[in-house]
Amino acid sequence: MSVIASDAVIKKEAGFEPLIVAFCCNWCSYAGADLAGTSRLNYPANIKIIRVPCSCRVNANFVLRAFQRGADGVIIAGCHPGDCHYMTGNYYTRRRMSLLKNLLEFIGIEEARFKIDWISASEGNKFAEVMNDVLAKVHQLGPNRKLRDSRWRR
Amino acid sequence: MEKIREEIKEIVRQALASKEVDLILAWEKGQLWYDSYPAFFTEEQGVDSLVWDQFCVNNLSKYLLDDGMAGQKVGILVKGCDTLAFNQLVQDNRIIRDNVVLYGLPCSGMIDPAKVRREGLDRGLIKIKKTGDQLIFVNKEQQIKVLPTQVYYDKCLTCHYPNPVIYDRLIGEKVANETLATHAGRFSAVEELEELSTKDRFAYWDQQFSKCIRCLACRNICPACSCEQCTFDDSELEILGKAKENSEDKFFHLIRAYHVAGRCVDCGECSRVCPQGIPLEKLNRKLIKDINELYGEYQAGLDPSIKGPLVTYQLEDTDTFTAGERGRKQK
Ligand code: SF4
Ligand code: SF4
Repeated sequence: MSVIASDAVIKKEAGFEPLIVAFCCNWCSYAGADLAGTSRLNYPANIKIIRVPCSCRVNANFVLRAFQRGADGVIIAGCHPGDCHYMTGNYYTRRRMSLLKNLLEFIGIEEARFKIDWISASEGNKFAEVMNDVLAKVHQLGPNRKLRDSRWRR
Repeated sequence: MEKIREEIKEIVRQALASKEVDLILAWEKGQLWYDSYPAFFTEEQGVDSLVWDQFCVNNLSKYLLDDGMAGQKVGILVKGCDTLAFNQLVQDNRIIRDNVVLYGLPCSGMIDPAKVRREGLDRGLIKIKKTGDQLIFVNKEQQIKVLPTQVYYDKCLTCHYPNPVIYDRLIGEKVANETLATHAGRFSAVEELEELSTKDRFAYWDQQFSKCIRCLACRNICPACSCEQCTFDDSELEILGKAKENSEDKFFHLIRAYHVAGRCVDCGECSRVCPQGIPLEKLNRKLIKDINELYGEYQAGLDPSIKGPLVTYQLEDTDTFTAGERGRKQK
């Protein structure tokens, strides 16, 4: 999908600019983002990257708090299973986040708002793709009101 | 039950007299017909008021963490489900197995006072007798026969472990496990919710969560919620605020359920004590169901030597988020 196109859509549709928080593992996905950048693959500025030492550093609090304080979508990106810099971190991520994802769906949060994926340092393309895909879907869903703190103002 | 009660009292008296234990956690009869509340006994003489009846639902294991228990040899009366809780506390390194003497009590089910009231059986109630698989509610005018399924706690109707899974001494005969069939049915309420649309599911939970008054009774009773310091107590940590606000309610409930994932023994105590009637067990069971389906059947508290599902992994584990959506069941 063309990034420029999705950007344009966002600008036109009055008011709603999704805010997406992406937790990226320092050793792979963060480098993947870099590669996407240096390869001039644009990904939208709506994505706010938070660098973490490993995808398993992200716990349920982080995800919920992001939604609470204004995120319309949350992404966790880590190394492919087997490639963890610390050997086993992402195996735990896999179990934990599988459950959290189902739990959020279970209480009625739209599935597309929370994305977990494996993106290696060499997958600049995939990085841009995943980001754009989430952005497009969240854009369609509209702002997250279900988990947002009513006192929060952007 | 009366015969066993006398036997229990005798054993408790002896244990206290011989200093086998310094104190014993048990239940004591209160003023109301359904009051069998937690009590601890230190003196032989006090044991007369000890009770074992069909209202001894309260799981006593969590009291083992009380400051007053430190350095003492504690005896505790435990039903089947209570032993799962006990094991979980041992597994979480919160109690030392050898400091506790477990008196195991096979349990045939506990009566839910709310159901008794709903059936109008509490009027003029004198006593409740059990004969075979029937209960007899005796009041001034008549004796009313009742099926246990009408008045037992929901959690007892799907109980898988009526007999203690661990004990030092068993008092009474083991009971037959008749609920095995219905145990599988404990996920049916979860499945019903899964069938709903995202919108309807949200409406359901939004309404449930908004009832919460954040009294934390669910946390206090829970044998898996045993941290020395709870983040929910300290608003300065900025984990959970004190405001009565919808997103804070959801945050609390999701974190409560999620952080006991893989450790919740499904004792049902949290929903039982909730003054607002929030069906917390549905969140716990959603997580248990997913764990069972994705990472293999697991019963917390059954064997403390087996690692919990969230502190271990398999190389070939499935997930619920990558393409192909393996293991994905929900709509
Ligand atoms: S016991 Fe019920 S009302 Fe109290 S904090 Fe727990 S869920 Fe909320
Ligand atoms: S979460 Fe509820 S059902 Fe699970 S162990 Fe705690 S009190 Fe028991």
